[in-house]
Amino acid sequence: MNVRSQVSMVFHLDKCIGCHTCSIACKNIWTDRKGTEYMWWNNVETKPGTGFPTRWEDQERYKGGWEKKNGDLQLRSQNKSSALFNIFHNPNQPTLDDYYEPWTYDYQNLFNAPEGADQPTAKPISMVTGEYINVEAGPNWDDDLGGSPVYAQNDPNLESLTPEQREQLFATERLVFFYFPRICNHCLNPSCVAACPSGALYKRGEDGIVLLDQKRCRGWRACVAACPYKKTYFNWSTGKSEKCILCFPRLETGQAPACFHSCVGRIRYLGVLLYDAARIEEVAKLPDDQLIEGQRSLILDPFDPEVIAAARASGVHDSVIESAQKSPVYQFVKVWKLALPPHLEYRTFPMLFYVPPMSPVMASQDGGVIDHVSGDLFHDIEQSRVPVAYLAKLLGAGQENKVRYALRKQKAVRWYRRALTVGDVTMEVASRMLAEADCSAEEAEAIYQLTSLCTFEDRFVIPPMHREEAIQMMEDPLEHKASAGFGFVSAPHRGM
Amino acid sequence: MLDWITGKGFRNSLTPRVCAMVALLIGTAAAQQDAGTFFKQNCTSCHTIGGGRLTGPDLKDVGSRRDRAWLVQFLQSPKAMIDSGDLYATKLQQEARGVVMPNIAGMNPQQAQALVDMISTESKLPRSQFAGMQISDRPLTDQDIAKGRLVFLGEQQLSGGGPACISCHTVKGLTLLGGGRLGPDLTRVYERLQGRKGLAAWLSSPASPTMAPVFKDHAIQPEEVLSLVALFEDSAKRGGQDDTTSLLNFFLLGVGGMVLGLISLDALWKTRFRGVRRSMVHKNDRGEG
Ligand code: SF4
Ligand code: SF4
Repeated sequence: MNVRSQVSMVFHLDKCIGCHTCSIACKNIWTDRKGTEYMWWNNVETKPGTGFPTRWEDQERYKGGWEKKNGDLQLRSQNKSSALFNIFHNPNQPTLDDYYEPWTYDYQNLFNAPEGADQPTAKPISMVTGEYINVEAGPNWDDDLGGSPVYAQNDPNLESLTPEQREQLFATERLVFFYFPRICNHCLNPSCVAACPSGALYKRGEDGIVLLDQKRCRGWRACVAACPYKKTYFNWSTGKSEKCILCFPRLETGQAPACFHSCVGRIRYLGVLLYDAARIEEVAKLPDDQLIEGQRSLILDPFDPEVIAAARASGVHDSVIESAQKSPVYQFVKVWKLALPPHLEYRTFPMLFYVPPMSPVMASQDGGVIDHVSGDLFHDIEQSRVPVAYLAKLLGAGQENKVRYALRKQKAVRWYRRALTVGDVTMEVASRMLAEADCSAEEAEAIYQLTSLCTFEDRFVIPPMHREEAIQMMEDPLEHKASAGFGFVSAPHRGM
Repeated sequence: MLDWITGKGFRNSLTPRVCAMVALLIGTAAAQQDAGTFFKQNCTSCHTIGGGRLTGPDLKDVGSRRDRAWLVQFLQSPKAMIDSGDLYATKLQQEARGVVMPNIAGMNPQQAQALVDMISTESKLPRSQFAGMQISDRPLTDQDIAKGRLVFLGEQQLSGGGPACISCHTVKGLTLLGGGRLGPDLTRVYERLQGRKGLAAWLSSPASPTMAPVFKDHAIQPEEVLSLVALFEDSAKRGGQDDTTSLLNFFLLGVGGMVLGLISLDALWKTRFRGVRRSMVHKNDRGEG
């Protein structure tokens, strides 16, 4: 057992209102520089839809992530020889058009236009070339276009559906969509790190944040191709790649990342998970249908004395272990099994988990009475507008039972709360549902608390980052004792 | 470059330079080089002694035509003499159809003196060793021409071990793409060197600064000279201007090759990533979505 700690995340999709506040918060802090205009380290997609960059889940073309070949794990984008062969022209790069050409507007014209018969307009200007452009696409071009024949119907996840299911999904009266906010997953087995020929990408030992060293990056862009989530981006101005840094400067000062902090729907949770680094490779080679259980088995119980001892032995600070015990992520992922990793079949082991969303309830109409209750209490999960198969493709590595489990539990909790507060359902029915959904009354109460009444402190359990200890792994602080802080930008000299 | 052609490699390319430096240092050392050898290597391509004129005049009894001082001066720098307006030197140039005798490497006052001495000695002999190559006057047959062709193209190796002509020269109509472009086009060389005799003399001992070092130790043998002369005579008779079509062919082949290369690369790499969004949207616009 080789215990490490990782700052992990849960996004509760049932609560996301698609306001894009998170994206803007991130953009304003990190990606409003030259060369980064097109990047959205945090973006919010409408599902079904093609996402950003367009159809990023289509690994047949983008070649991201790992694949199992002859019992071994291999990057889909390259092997050693092809990496060398293609080093000056890395294939499988999304084009700017697959992201979008970033633009602003010619606002000056509104003030400076000569007097004329019509109102002046502000024409769009490309932020790359500075020329007027004809805007054809944007990072959330398919926002709210759940039934769009161009975008929704080209969602790669629809592969998992039968033709009837597809037809139903796009029937006008059943149209449906939900939001899917995405940031870098700070994976346990990151393909971006594995692909980098310069060794510029690394996973921070103390908190698992995946970072890209700007000094070491040589702009080969192997990571851009290798990340199946397309969450490393190439900065055309600096010639280096960049990615989400999980706002580590904020985390180190005890603040939640900007997108977490600003989230209007309060869908985001952050906390430490302890995991067993020794077993990652073994688990990454499991067949698809065992991956979810495999990843869960990597996540260790922070209350288990054996785990605590092993964690201490590998240098995890007591305060971090304590923080892991309070982690909301641990509850959602491991205890309640409500949160699932996106596209685990890419085998990078994302450490950002999603609680699958409940679809709108399909009402049945009986004469003049609209009825929401049926004999089979979980019926609308099977007949929900978003088919379970679709969610399973997105969040369950194809395992419908894992998604069904999470949905049933959520539904049971809702009914339990209805029985308690509204009273239109009897507690007897609610209890039966809880039992069927493998959930106790206490657990239901806890889920309800953390889902609906959660405070800032409940959602973000930020561990003390102990940078002072982390830095000791690489440098001896005493060496710097007699020197001037961070050093001089230009050292002072005696005289004029 | 030259060493590469002779196949000697870069290692030996220093040797001539070192020799030249030693020669300079010792001063008179150059004069010690046997005048006969010097004449053979540097002069026989244009001059004979009692063999009639080639590109340059027959040098038999040249001592009686001009005085020694003039000769020594002319030998050291023919061009300077012509430029100075010397009447005799100008006349010589006209006789040579405008060809100016080049400055000869290694020529110095002592060497010139030695040469003049050697020429006057040789002139007294009934038949000088420099009377020139006696090339037969018989009409040259198709066989000679065919053999010349083989030699020129390098299909038959030069027995002296020299490089094939085609590596530096071209003759119109011989090959589709023409030959090398380093040396002059030889389509009409027969006329330029004034016939069989001049051509044969040149080939036996090429004197240009480019060819001399290459063929110094790899002389072209008399039978080969004859075949080559036959080839050049034939090509001059056919007339035709210097070969420019092959240059065009070469250019066109280059362009064609590039286009073909690009097409095959494109085919080979058909599955490469070319962007997703635009084709997806356009496919839908066309109603195929
Ligand atoms: S999601 Fe993040 S950590 Fe995972 S492969 Fe992509 S860039 Fe790397
Ligand atoms: S800020 Fe929160 S609620 Fe709004 S889109 Fe982002 S994740 Fe969803």
